[in-house]
Amino acid sequence: MTDIDEDPAAEPRLVDPKLLEALVCPVSRGPLSYDRAAQELVSERAKLAYPIRDGIPIMLSDEARQLD
Amino acid sequence: MTRDPETHFGARTVSEAEKPGLVQGVFTSVASRYDLMNDLMSGGTHRLWKSAMIDWLAPRDGWRMLDVAGGTGDISFRTLERINKRGSRGDVTVCDLTEDMLRAGRTRSESERLADQLSWVTGDAMQLPFEDAQFDAYTISFGIRNVTRINDALAEAFRVLKPGGRFLCLEFSAMTVPLAQKAYDTYSFNVIPRIGQVVANDRDSYQYLVESIRRFPVQQQFGQMIEGAGFEQVKWRNLSGGIAALHSGWKL
Repeated sequence: MTDIDEDPAAEPRLVDPKLLEALVCPVSRGPLSYDRAAQELVSERAKLAYPIRDGIPIMLSDEARQLD
Repeated sequence: MTRDPETHFGARTVSEAEKPGLVQGVFTSVASRYDLMNDLMSGGTHRLWKSAMIDWLAPRDGWRMLDVAGGTGDISFRTLERINKRGSRGDVTVCDLTEDMLRAGRTRSESERLADQLSWVTGDAMQLPFEDAQFDAYTISFGIRNVTRINDALAEAFRVLKPGGRFLCLEFSAMTVPLAQKAYDTYSFNVIPRIGQVVANDRDSYQYLVESIRRFPVQQQFGQMIEGAGFEQVKWRNLSGGIAALHSGWKL
């Protein structure tokens, strides 16, 4: 995936990179990895993937996807 | 069989597990008209209270602030405007349980040219998604009343603040003159849900708001809870005779 060739209007809103640095998993307080393609923040420790919708990270365990 | 611990949702008793969803429902329902409703409900007084909050906060240059339950961005915009007026800079992260409130705030921030100083994240005040000791200030304005376990939210506020960090909370409170409290109760229980019905077509949400105000601990009791979380130099100021109050504390 490249950013350059895509129409900016069609590009989904991206999450603020400064914010990503400060975020941790609210359940485990462990680190998060950013899955840009899936627009998810993945907590390996809690086995949860938090969605990013329209550039806003949804850091609620109720809304997170359970990982196997 | 274990029973869920119970808590309050306005005047109703609900299970603790149920409350966040109910609160989210209220704010999703009122998001688009929230600022207008605040004006109507308080006769514009909430603007004076928020100014008083920023005065006491006295935001400093280069601050990183966390505004919890900051929804539509009122407190964060005022803080940034105060800092920017001095030709300086600051950053605010807005954290709210309700996604739609954040979207409303973000749209507003774009029209006010503050977007690059703000970050928006959906999160729970009782389980903040931030590292320890990240922020110079933590603000919460008309939000802590809606938190299921207030002590948990205070502990989280303490955790994410840097040493030397400031806690400041604006919330409805108890009037210092009992007769005035009685008149205010009559007004709020009878008039506010009707305004909610007319303006937002949502009487129940505003009924909840009114009832939750009455449930909230009074000034001194709330001050003790803040001290209990580890904050020092805890002080409060009454606004409009105690209809609202500001509580301040420091992580030292």
